[in-house]
Amino acid sequence: MMDATERDLLQQTVRDAFVSADTTTSLDSVLVDLGWLEMLGTARRDAVDIVFRSLGAVNGTSSVLDDVVVSALGIEPRADLAVLLPSFATWHAPGTTDGTDVSAMGVATARVATAADLLIACGTGAELSAVTVPRSAVEQRVIEGVDPDGGFRVVRVDRAAIGSSLGRCEWDAAITWGRIAAAHQIEGACRSMLELARTHALERVQFGRVIAGFQAVRHRLAEALVAVEALDATLTAAMDEVGPLTAALAKATAGRTGQIVGAHAQQVLAGIGFTTDHPFHRFLKRSLVLEGLFGSADEIATEIGHQLLATRCVPTLIEL
Amino acid sequence: MEMAEFRTELHRWLDAHADELEPAFSPPGTLDEQIAQMQRVKAILFEADWIRYGWPERVGGLGGSPMLRTELGAALAARDLADPGLFSLIEVLAPTLIDFAPAELAAEVVPRLLSGAEIWCQGFSEPGTGSDLASLTCRAEPEGDATWVINGQKVWTSLAQYSDRCVLLTRTGPVDARHRGITAFFVDMDTPGVSVAPLEMINGQHEFAEVFFDNVAVPADRMLGDLHGGWAVAMSILPYERSSCFWQRIAYLYRRLEKLVEVAPDDDRAAEVIGNAFVQLHALRARSRVTQHRLADGQALGAETSIDKVLVATAEHATYDAARRLLPGVVEMDDSATGAAWRSEYLYSRAATIYGGTAEVQRNIIARRLLDLGSDE
Repeated sequence: MMDATERDLLQQTVRDAFVSADTTTSLDSVLVDLGWLEMLGTARRDAVDIVFRSLGAVNGTSSVLDDVVVSALGIEPRADLAVLLPSFATWHAPGTTDGTDVSAMGVATARVATAADLLIACGTGAELSAVTVPRSAVEQRVIEGVDPDGGFRVVRVDRAAIGSSLGRCEWDAAITWGRIAAAHQIEGACRSMLELARTHALERVQFGRVIAGFQAVRHRLAEALVAVEALDATLTAAMDEVGPLTAALAKATAGRTGQIVGAHAQQVLAGIGFTTDHPFHRFLKRSLVLEGLFGSADEIATEIGHQLLATRCVPTLIEL
Repeated sequence: MEMAEFRTELHRWLDAHADELEPAFSPPGTLDEQIAQMQRVKAILFEADWIRYGWPERVGGLGGSPMLRTELGAALAARDLADPGLFSLIEVLAPTLIDFAPAELAAEVVPRLLSGAEIWCQGFSEPGTGSDLASLTCRAEPEGDATWVINGQKVWTSLAQYSDRCVLLTRTGPVDARHRGITAFFVDMDTPGVSVAPLEMINGQHEFAEVFFDNVAVPADRMLGDLHGGWAVAMSILPYERSSCFWQRIAYLYRRLEKLVEVAPDDDRAAEVIGNAFVQLHALRARSRVTQHRLADGQALGAETSIDKVLVATAEHATYDAARRLLPGVVEMDDSATGAAWRSEYLYSRAATIYGGTAEVQRNIIARRLLDLGSDE
C-alpha cells in the first residue's frame, strides 16, 4: 500500500498526464510510461483506485481494464494481451471449450483491435480455465451505441483452435476487480457531472439571480453529492475487504449513483446539458455504458437479494 | 481494550447471558415494557462493566475508545435487547454532562444514567421551534445570585414522562440574539412547576411529550457551559448523534432487513426489493464507518455529517418500504404480535426524514457548506 503522500503524488501525476496527453497518444501508453503494469503488481488497490477514478473524471478512453482483469485472474498482464469481457449486462465467463477449440461471445476494449492475443475465460466454477487465441481467430465489430468514444467492440470466437492454455483460474476475482475498477470510473464521472452542474448553477442567471440560489436546484445538487459520497464510502469498504460481495455492492451503488447524479445534473444544466456543445453528454453516456459492464445496478441487486434469501441472513461485512 | 477483542468478548458474554437479557415480552411490547427492559439491561451491563467501556474514568467509566460503547449499542440493537432510539439517548446526554457540567456533578449523575438508575431527556424543541432551533423562547431569568427561574414550554421531548432529569435549552438573552442568547441547564424533573403531558405518536405509543415550565427554580450551579453559551452545548451533541447513534440504528436496520429475509418468498421480485434495500444499507454502513473513524481519530465532525443523516433516513424508509411491499397486508391488517411490530416500526420509520433536522434542512446545509453554492436567502 502507498502512504497518503505517495497517493496524492500519483493521483496528480496521472491526472496531469491525462489532461496533457495529445489526442494522438493513447492513454494506455501514457499509463505504461508511468509504470502502470508494475503498480498493478505491487500496489493494485491504489493503482486501480487512482487510475480509474481519473479516467472517469476526464472521460478518458483506455484499455487498461484488460490489465486489471488479466492480473486478477493471476496472469501476467501485457500491453499486447486483450481479454474478453462478459457480454453487456452479464457477468458469467464468456467462453466454452472442449480442450481443443474455443467458442465465445462478449465485449472487449479497443485493445482487441491491435493485441497479439485474446484471453478467454471458459466454463464455470471449478472447471473454469483461461485460454488464448490469436487475434486472427477473432471476429470483431466496433460498437457505435450510445458512446462511440468508449472504444468497445463486440467480439465473437467460433470454434477457434486454442493458442495456449493458461490453466485453471478464478473468474470471481476477475469480476470482483472488474467491478471495482468500473465503479471507480463511475465515481470519477459522477464527480465531474456534479461539478459541471454546480458551475452552471453558479453562473446561470434566471429571474434576476443565479439559479444556485433556488432551493429546488440546491436540493438536486445536494442529493447528487450524497449519492457520490455514499459511493465513495462503498469503494473504501470494497478496498478494505476485497471480495465478490463488497465489490458487487460497490458496483450496484455505482450504477445507481450514475443514474441519480446523471438525472440531477442534467436537470440543473437544463437546455445546455441537452446539447453536444457542452461536455456533460459525454459523461452521461459513458456512465450508462459503465453501469451495464459486469451488471447493472438492478441486476446486481437482484443477484445479491437471491443470495440473502438463499442463506436467510443479512451479513454486516464491515466492522468498526 | 482493543476493538476486535472487545467485540469478540462482548458477543461471547451476550451469548452466555442471552436468557437473562432477553425481554420478558414479545415485541413490540408497550413503551413501559420497553423502558423497563432497557433499564434492566443497562443495570446488568453496568454490573458486568460492559456499559462502562468507552466512557472517561472520572464519570465512572473504564476509558478506551468511544467506539467501544458504539459497538455495545449496536450489539444490543442487533440482538433486539434494547431499542436503539431509546438506548442511544445516552450518547447525546452523557457527553453533554461530561463536557459542560461541573466535574462533581458529572461524576455523580453520569453513572446513574449508565447503570439504568435514571432516565434523562433532552428539552430542545418547542411548539414554535422545530428545525429552527435558534428561535427558541422558553425563558430563564436570574433570581438573586444562586437561582434561575424557568418559564415556557418544550415539545417532542422523548421519554419526558419517565425522566429524572432534563438537559434544557433556555432563552437568556433577547430572542433576536438568536443562537447567542441561549443557555443550557440540567433540571431535575421533580422540581415544583414542571409538568409533562405525553403525546400519542402515529404508531399509538407515547414516546414523546409536551413539557411545561411554570416558575421552575433551578440552582445556578446546574448551568451547563457558560451563560449564553447554550448553542455550543447543543452543537456539541451533533458529532455523537451523527456517529454512534447512527451506527446503532444501522445495526437495528440490518436486523430488520434480516427479519424480512427470514420470511420473504424466494422469488425475483423479493430478491430485487431486498437486494436494493441491502445495497442502500451497506452504503450507509460504509459511510457511517468512515465517520466513526474520523471522530475516533480526533477530527471535528461538521456539515459533512448531514450526508450521513440523509443516508440514514433514506435507508430507513427503504427498509420498511421493502417490508411493506413483501409482506402484503401485514402493516395494514395483521393483528398478530408480528404484525403489530411491523406496523409500529413502519409508522415510526416515517419520522426518519423529520427528527434531528429534517431532510430538507440537511440538503440546505449540504448545498451551502459542502457544495459552496452561496446563500439561499
